[in-house]
This record gives sequence, C-alpha cells and structure tokens, in this order.
Amino acid sequence: MKKILLVFAVFVLMTGLAQSQDKPASTLGFTPSSYYTFAWNTTFTMGDFNKWVSGTSPAGFDFGGRYFINNGLAVGFNLSWQRVSQIYTDETFTIPDKGIAINAENYRFTWMVPFQAVVDYHFMSDKMISPYIGLGIGGDYMEHHLLIQEYDIYKTRWDFSLTPEVGALVKFGNYSQWGALVAFNYKWTTNKIELYETASKDLQMLNLKIGLAMIIR
Amino acid sequence: MKTKLGFLFLGTGLIFTLSCTKYPPESDRLLEDLVVITQYDTKVDFNNYKTYSIAGSIMEITDKDTVAMTGQTPTAILTQIDVDMQARGFSKVPASSHPEFAIQVLYYQNTNVYTYYYDWWGWGGYYPYYPYSPVYTTSYTTGMLNIELLDLKTADVNQRTYVRWNAFIRGILTGTHTTAEVTGRVNQAFVQTPQLKTTKP
Repeated sequence: MKKILLVFAVFVLMTGLAQSQDKPASTLGFTPSSYYTFAWNTTFTMGDFNKWVSGTSPAGFDFGGRYFINNGLAVGFNLSWQRVSQIYTDETFTIPDKGIAINAENYRFTWMVPFQAVVDYHFMSDKMISPYIGLGIGGDYMEHHLLIQEYDIYKTRWDFSLTPEVGALVKFGNYSQWGALVAFNYKWTTNKIELYETASKDLQMLNLKIGLAMIIR
Repeated sequence: MKTKLGFLFLGTGLIFTLSCTKYPPESDRLLEDLVVITQYDTKVDFNNYKTYSIAGSIMEITDKDTVAMTGQTPTAILTQIDVDMQARGFSKVPASSHPEFAIQVLYYQNTNVYTYYYDWWGWGGYYPYYPYSPVYTTSYTTGMLNIELLDLKTADVNQRTYVRWNAFIRGILTGTHTTAEVTGRVNQAFVQTPQLKTTKP
C-alpha cells in the first residue's frame, strides 16, 4: 500500500511539474516572420496536357519562401522544377497532304521551370498546424520534347500561369523552427504544345507538394 | 544564425534543383528503335495498277560497292513485301512480263553522304528492263532499309520512272532485332499506307 501511495505521489508531483513548465494555452506557439520550403512535387497532368503525357510524374521539386506581412497574410515566391514524361510505343504520325506517315516509339517529355509570386493566408499562423490558402501568379518556362531515336524535336515557350493552392505548414513542435509542408495546387497556364499532330492549349495540371519547411521567428 | 541557416537551406535546395537534368535517362532513349517512314504519291490512284515484280535480293550500298544481301532476314523481308502486296490486291509477275510496278529494296549502313544514280539502260545488274535515273543524295548514321515502288506504267511515256511509294525503315540490321521484328516493321510500312491497294479485277 505504501508503495502504491508513493508511486501515486510521484506521478502527481511529476504531472504538476510538467504542467508548470507549459505556458498558458493561449500563448502556445509563435507566428513566424518568414519561412522557406523545399518540397518534392508530384505532377498530375490534366486536359490537353494529359493527352500529351498521361502519366503521373514524381520528377519535380518546389522551392519557396514566404514573408508574413500582417497576421496570417504572407507574400513570397515559388521556384519549381518539374518534368513529365512518357514513352509511347507503335504510334503513327501522319502528314496527310504530303502522303507521309511515321511510325515510331517516341519519348515525350515536358520540362517546366515555373516562377511565381505568391500570396498566402494562414488561418492559424501561430499554431503547430497552420492551414493556408494561396494564389501564385507568374510565368512558366516549358520545353516540350518529342524524341524519336536520336532526333529531338522540341519547342520552348514562356507563358503566364495561375496557381490556387491549399496546404498546411506543420511545425514539428509548438516552438520548432522546422516543419513539414503539405500542399495541393491546381495550375492553369497559357502554355501550349504544337508538335506533329498533337496540339494543345492552356496546359493544366495538379501538383502535390510534400516537403520540409524552415521557419524563422 | 537563423539567416545563415536560411540561406544554407535555400542554397542546398537551389543546387538540388539545378542538378536535375531536364532529359530523361539515356537508357530510356529510343536509339535502337525501328522507325518506319512512308510516303506515297497523293496524285496516284493505285486502283489503276495491278501487277508488280520484285527484285530477287536486297541491294546493300556501301562506300565501295553495291552487293546483294543474303541470309534469313533479307529473304524474309522480300517475302513479307510479297505477302503485303498480294494482300492488297496486286499480282506478282516476272520482270520480263511488263509489270506495272517494280519494287526494289536498298540497304545502307554508314554515316557518309551518298550521291548516286542508276544510269537508264546502262546499268545491267539490276532491273535493266526499264528506265531509272533519279539522283539520291542523303546521309544516314544507322542502317536504313529503303523499299521503293517504281511506276513502270508511265515510264514508257515519259522516259522516267517515278517512285509512287517509298518506305524507309530506320535502325534496321544495326541493332539486335529479330527477323520477326524486322518483318513486322515491313508490314507496318504497308499498314500505315492504307491507300496502297488495288481493287482492279
């Protein structure tokens, strides 16, 4: 019995000690002054872009920075690198007016380097989990390549892009300066592909970003 | 300290990003693939033709000589052409029986630029029965099979022979392709030219 009382007393004391080290709930965490993110980016092509390359591509990275200007409102930038690619076998291209047909395995890929200015609103910027909505506006550099044997037929374009995004910044602790970023966005661009018979416009895609965040107090 | 860490984080990410090549891995490139390129004369109605003859062998053109190719694959290629032509309604006849089409099959394998022509009647080793004098200038870095459908029907009138259909199979006999793969590509040349058929009785 004495042992049980002793253990109970130690438990109560430890609990009290632990609680005394905590700050009041209302002051938990901190609102960052800025944060930087580096995320792995998986691309899901949509619409005409999906006709060009239909596969999901995990080849991509996104690099971003945000600076809080007023409560949960942050402005910043995103710089990304993405590549979507797919091999198509036994595909025939035709040029009917010249009577030409070409059958070949072909490797299609689009290489993208988007630069965007971003505005985010964080709903609970001081909490461990800080969900946000944002909008990116900028330009996308894209190279569309069609590889057949050693031939590389390609076109390059700079175009406008718009990216609404939802996501969350998750601190690894209430006061941690490191965290995780999980975000999902839809990107609409004025970019297009004009190679052989495959023409498209207003390339669209979904992006899933998972990465690390360095949070500055 | 925080700023330094931030720049370190930024710099690492930037290097990581820039180190990613835009091209897919070399192993995924299609250098060994067989490409089939065809072109037909859009002004010709193939229904006006019925017969053809085909050379007895594929001619390999090298820097030094032109030689007849032997072996299983060249024979299989010629057989496949016969199969496809007959499936499209054309009848094979001997070269001496005044065919409307003549088929010749050429093969090149080097990277030099070729400029050559066949003198009309003077060249005695191969199709001496009709006029043929186009000049070719082209350059290839890999094996190329060239199937030509020559119009003998109009040759008598114009003293020239027109190529009405042409098929290039690029990458052939330079990789590790089986005979079945090669004949499959020959068949593909016909498949992608549905206009090449005759219904003339």
